[in-house]
Amino acid sequence: MNSDFYILTWNDLIVSLVFIAFSLFLIKKWKLGLEQTLIIGTFRSFLQLTLMGYVLTWFFDQQHWAFMLGLLFIMILIASYEGTRRQKNEIPHFFSAMFIALFGSAILILGTILLFILEVEPWYSPYAAIPIGGMIIGNGLNSTSLTANRFIGELKHREREIETLLALGATPKLAAYDAMKASIQAALIPNINGMMTVGLVQLPGVMTGQILAGIDPVIAVRYQIMIMYMWFTTATLANMIMLAIVYRQFFTNKMQLRRELLRDNS
Amino acid sequence: MQNEPIFKFTDVSYVVGGSKILQGINFVVHKGEFLAVLGASGAGKSTLLRMFNALQSPNSGQINFRGQAIDTDIPCLRKNVGILFQNSVVFSGKVKDNLLAAGRWDQNIAQTLDHELISALEQVELGNIELSHNAQDLSGGEQQRLALARTLLNHPQVLLLDEPTSNLDPKLARSIMDLVNKLRETLHLTVIAVSHDHLLMRRYAQRVMVLSQGQKIGEGTFKALDQKQVFEEAGLMEDSD
Repeated sequence: MNSDFYILTWNDLIVSLVFIAFSLFLIKKWKLGLEQTLIIGTFRSFLQLTLMGYVLTWFFDQQHWAFMLGLLFIMILIASYEGTRRQKNEIPHFFSAMFIALFGSAILILGTILLFILEVEPWYSPYAAIPIGGMIIGNGLNSTSLTANRFIGELKHREREIETLLALGATPKLAAYDAMKASIQAALIPNINGMMTVGLVQLPGVMTGQILAGIDPVIAVRYQIMIMYMWFTTATLANMIMLAIVYRQFFTNKMQLRRELLRDNS
Repeated sequence: MQNEPIFKFTDVSYVVGGSKILQGINFVVHKGEFLAVLGASGAGKSTLLRMFNALQSPNSGQINFRGQAIDTDIPCLRKNVGILFQNSVVFSGKVKDNLLAAGRWDQNIAQTLDHELISALEQVELGNIELSHNAQDLSGGEQQRLALARTLLNHPQVLLLDEPTSNLDPKLARSIMDLVNKLRETLHLTVIAVSHDHLLMRRYAQRVMVLSQGQKIGEGTFKALDQKQVFEEAGLMEDSD
């Protein structure tokens, strides 16, 4: 690590509030009506992350596999709850679908990274497992929430098409396949586009943070590459597991589309 | 053969959110017949039609298809009982892609040769349309015929029609119904059509069942129901042109 890395002080952070002040000015000028939300968001992000900094310091002192597994379990539970809360339409058993999708992808991807890529000793070292696990779960949450919303939109849009296929003898899986395909493509394309332009257009957050913290850019780049591959795999795997569970909820055991779930419940 | 029952509905009811869509419906459909189910808007006829190929199930009551409970083998039921919707879905792609839609899960259809597909188009009087034609460029009437050809490739025994001509002009509607009737005779199909248009249906159907507010208020020949003024009771005479 370089000795001349930049330490951000509390005073520096207060100065960075000028960005928020400037955004507030613009929001007010355009009468977007977002002032209150932005102020709350600013304070919440400050408080939550500051608190998390202290909590993480404590977490990093804990060296036990059961603690690490328990923590990941709680993180996945919270993410599943948050993902369920974000859905505009009722999806039966969505919490369980989210939990299984996030748990499955976290175990597989985090396990691979800790055991075979970074070869962390011991594997439950909080310095690696917490930030990487958090990234996997957070990315999985965002991706699956968007995909589930998009999937419902596709089902609504394709309702007649799906019933036509069912009427011709298709299984629910085949009848819903195009809707699943469109929603998963919509989730993965931004990830692929990000991989195409990374380094050319923008420097990703993790890499920027590491460079600012004094890490050799070549090493920071390697981490970033691993993280991008990890993100893509998380999005692919979590979405596929989630959709494989969710699509079934929209059909009865008599291979009928549950049209009542596609009506706006507002 | 004509009197062999193919469908039997016993005390079929469907209630959703407290509203009674269908109440205690009993009737039998015979093999090879053309049955019209008539009713005004909201009478429950489309819900009833969807029950024939198990796209909808009743809350109570029993439906039998060829002597067995209708949900015994649903993929087999749906292959045998085709439906032509009010606004048929034509998938994006070519006419051929539409005809082979069921080829995704049915190897017999996937292996259909081009000349067989052309015969299927000729069967629905679309012989002038190329297999490579963009399906969504077809007119409304042609799209209905394409959907019919797609359904017929499953070799169904029963054809369900859900107001199949309501979006077409009267001349086109009659030509589609003439075609369906001709197919019924040549392919020995049983046809069940729901409609609010009793004038159109009396040209083709041998028997009629009339629904009003979810209840069966009459069943028999048009002549018999005319005498009982069932069509007036169902509010169908106001819809007549």
